[in-house]
Amino acid sequence: MTPEEIIQTIMSQFGEAVKASEVKGVEARMDVDRGKNYEILLALKGMGFDYLNCISSVDRIASGDLEAVYNLSSLNESAKAMVRVRVPREDPVIRSVVPIWSAANWHEREAFDLMGIRFEGHPDLRRILTSEDWVGHPLRKDYQDERLVPYEPA
Amino acid sequence: MEKSMERFYAAFAALGVPSIVPQLILMLVVASLVILFISVSVMFMIWWERKISAHIQVRYGPMRVGGWHGWAQSIADGIKLLIKEDVIPAGADKLVFALAPMVVFAAALAAYVIIPFGPNLIVRDLNIGVLFYISISSLTVVGIIMAGWSSNNKYSVLGALRSAAQAVSYEVPLVVSILGVIMTVGSLSMIQIVEAQQRIWFVIPQFVGFLIYLTAALAECNRLPFDIPEAESELVAGFHVEYSGMRFAIFFLAEYANMFTVAAIATTLFLGGWHGPLLPPWLWFLIKTYFIIFVMMWLRWTLARLRVDQLMNLGWKVLLPLAFLNMGITGLVLVLLG
Amino acid sequence: MEQTEIIEPIQETMEEMYVNMGPQHPSTHGVLRLMLKLDGEVVTEITPYIGYLHRCHEKIGENRIYTQVIPYTDRLDYLASMYNNFGYVLTVERLMGLQVPERAEYMRVILAEMQRIASHLIWMGTFGLDLGNFTIFMYCFREREKILDLFESVSGQRLNYSFYRIGGMPLDLPDSFLTDCKAFLEWFKPRLPEYDAVMTDNIIFQKRVQGIGKLDQKTAIDYAISGPMLRGSGIKWDLRRNDPYSIYDRFEFEIPVGSTGDVWDRYMVRRLEMAESVKIVEQALRDLPPGEIMGKVPKKLKPLAGDIYSRVESPRGELGFYIASDGSEKPYRYKVRSPAFVNLSVLPVIGAGHLVADMVAILGSIDIVLGEVDR
Repeated sequence: MTPEEIIQTIMSQFGEAVKASEVKGVEARMDVDRGKNYEILLALKGMGFDYLNCISSVDRIASGDLEAVYNLSSLNESAKAMVRVRVPREDPVIRSVVPIWSAANWHEREAFDLMGIRFEGHPDLRRILTSEDWVGHPLRKDYQDERLVPYEPA
Repeated sequence: MEKSMERFYAAFAALGVPSIVPQLILMLVVASLVILFISVSVMFMIWWERKISAHIQVRYGPMRVGGWHGWAQSIADGIKLLIKEDVIPAGADKLVFALAPMVVFAAALAAYVIIPFGPNLIVRDLNIGVLFYISISSLTVVGIIMAGWSSNNKYSVLGALRSAAQAVSYEVPLVVSILGVIMTVGSLSMIQIVEAQQRIWFVIPQFVGFLIYLTAALAECNRLPFDIPEAESELVAGFHVEYSGMRFAIFFLAEYANMFTVAAIATTLFLGGWHGPLLPPWLWFLIKTYFIIFVMMWLRWTLARLRVDQLMNLGWKVLLPLAFLNMGITGLVLVLLG
Repeated sequence: MEQTEIIEPIQETMEEMYVNMGPQHPSTHGVLRLMLKLDGEVVTEITPYIGYLHRCHEKIGENRIYTQVIPYTDRLDYLASMYNNFGYVLTVERLMGLQVPERAEYMRVILAEMQRIASHLIWMGTFGLDLGNFTIFMYCFREREKILDLFESVSGQRLNYSFYRIGGMPLDLPDSFLTDCKAFLEWFKPRLPEYDAVMTDNIIFQKRVQGIGKLDQKTAIDYAISGPMLRGSGIKWDLRRNDPYSIYDRFEFEIPVGSTGDVWDRYMVRRLEMAESVKIVEQALRDLPPGEIMGKVPKKLKPLAGDIYSRVESPRGELGFYIASDGSEKPYRYKVRSPAFVNLSVLPVIGAGHLVADMVAILGSIDIVLGEVDR
C-alpha cells in the first residue's frame, strides 16, 4: 500500500481522531488524538506494519504537552509510518501498545523514566536507565538539578 | 646403592641407636628430595605453560625476569604469592579452611611413592603400585570439597560439588582404561610393567586405552577442556575463590604436581617408562613425561570448554563403554594367545 | 515530583536460588547486571538491569549544535564508532536535504565496512574467550590491530574517530591508504579459514553453541530484533539491501542467513559477514573516484522545523536516529534507537530454561555494547 492509501484508510476508519497527516517520501505521518491511539496503531499493524522501530518521547513545553512518536515499518513492504500523540503535562497517560508489539516494553519504560509519560496497561512500568530511586524525569526541558552545569562554549 | 644403604644402617647400629632412627632419617631425606623435585618441576612447568600459550597465541610470554626468556618468572611469582596477606573469609570454618589445601597437596605428593624415574630410582616399588596411585588420587576430591564448603560462599560450594562430580565420574574410565595394560602384564607393580615393555610399548596394542586414559587424566586434573570447576568466565573461580597467598599457591602446586603424576603414569604404563637408546634412563623418562605434559598444555590453549552435562555424558556414556570394550577385547586376545 | 519506588526484598524458597551476575563480571561485556533465578543448574528467569553506563547522551545532544554532537556519537557504540558517526550524519543530511560528493560516499563505505570487520573480530574474540578458547581472542585482536593502524593513518585516532562530517568527510585519505588497505585485505582473507580451524570446525565449540538460545521468527519480529540476530533466525533483512542508504546499492554482496535462530546460526552469520565486508571494501577501493570530499554545506547548520527518523545497518543491527528540529542550530530532541538496547530485551525470552553455562554463550551471541544500551 502506498502511504497515501494508508492515510486514507485510517482517516476513513477513525475520522476525527487523526488531527493532521502528511506524506514524506515513503513515510505516512499522522498526528492522532490519544483517545484512539491504541486502535489506530492496532489497525496499522493489521495493515502490515509488524515492526516497531522506535518509540520516542518529545517534550513540547511551548504548548504544555508531552509527545510520543511511534515509528513503524514493515519487513515485507517499503512503506513506513510515523504516528505522533500529544498528551497534556498535567495528565500524561497513554495506553500502552505492549500487547501489539512486545518491542514497546523497553521503549515505553525508557519514555516513562526519562520523560514521565505513564503508559497504562504496561506489564512492568519501572525505571530502566536511571536508578530505581531517582526522582524526576531528566529529559524534560524544565528538569532542575543542582548538579546540572550550563554548557558554555570556550 | 645396596651396599651404601647397608653401611648407613651399620653406622647407626654401631652407635647403639635403634634401627628405626636411620629409617626415619632416610624417609625424611627421600621425602625432601621428592618435594624438591616437585617444586623445581612445577616451577619449570608454570614457566613452560606461559611460553607455550604465548607462542600459540602469537606473542612472546615472559621475556625479562632473569634475562633469557624470563626463566625466573616462576620464582618471582612464587615470592609474590608468599608475601601476600593471608585472608580468611568471615564465617569460614577456620580449621577446615586451613586443612583443605594440605589434604589436596598431600594426596598429590603421596602418589610420587610409586613413580619409577629409572630402574632403581623409585621410592618404593610396591607390588600394588597402580592400585595405590588410584586410591591416593581419590583423596583430592575430599580436599576440594573441604575447600568449597569451608569457604562460606555459595559459588565455592557450587564449584566444589561440580569438581567432585567430575573427578568421581572420570575416575572410573581412568581405572578401566588401565586394566588392559594390567591384564597384559599380570602385575600391578610399576617396575614390572615397565620391564614388560622392552619389546613393544603398550601404546601400540592399547592405543584406545591410551586415548581414554589421556582424556580422563585431563578431567582429573581439572584442565581445559574439562576445567568447569575453575572456569573464570562462568560464575566465578570455583572452589578456591576465597583462597589467596600461600594457600592458593599450594592448590596451584598440587594441580601441577598432579599433572606431572598423571603424565608419569601414562609414560610408565603406555610409553615404555625409561626404555630408550643412547640417553640415560631417567632422562628418557623425563622426556616422555614432559612430552605428554606438552600435549596437555597444547590442548588447553586450543580447545573450548565443555559444559557440565556434556562432560558427564562424555565420561559415563562414551568413555566408560569404550574402556570396557577395550578391556574385553584385550582379555579375549590374551586368552586366545594363551 | 514522582514518588520513589519501594524495592521488595526477595523471598527465596527452598528450591530456587537467586544469583546475581554483575555489574562487574568477566562475561557480561560491560556493566550489565543480570539477576538469575536458578532451579539447580537451570535458569528459570532472567531480569536484566541496565543503566550503569547512562551518560545522558540525549540530553547533551539537545545542548550542542549539530556538528558538536558528532564526537558524542562515537562513544555510543565505542567498538563501531564509524557507524555511529555514519548514522547520525546521514540523518542530519536527510533532514536538511544535503548532497554528499561521490568520493566522500565511497570513503564512507570503505571505512564503515572496515569498521564492521573490526567490530565482528572483537565479538568473535570475546565470544571464544567466554567459552574457554583463549587463543582465538589473541588472533582476532591481532587482525584488529592492523585495522586500527589503518584508521589511525586516516583519522589520527584508534578508537573514537569523529571522522564523518555533515555533508562529507573532513580529510582526504592519505596517499598510502590504497596500497595499505589492499595489503591488509590480502593478508586478512586467509585468516578466516584459520579461525574456522581453531573454533568453527571444533566439535567442542559446536556442541556448546548449537541448539541453544533459539529465537523464532515471530518473536524476533515482535521484539523488533535487527542485525545478525534477526538474520540468524532466517529472515533475510539487511538495511543495506532492503532500505539502501548511501551508495550500498552499487555493490554486490551476499546476505548470510541462518535457519534455526540458535547461537550457532548467529555465529555463522557474523563469521560470513566478515567475508562479505571484505568484498565490499575491495569493490569500493576499485571504484574510488577522485574529487571533492565535502559538499555544499552552509556555515551555520539550521535545518527547517520538522523531524525525521533514519536508520543504518550497524554491525549490531538497526541503528536509528530520531531528530526533531525547531529551526535552531541545536536539535530540539535527539533520540538514539540503539540495536543492542532492543536486542537485549529479548534475553529473558530466549535465555530461560537453559543452564547457567549457556547463559554466557547466549549473552555473547546477542553482541551488546553497554555504551549503546545505556547511552
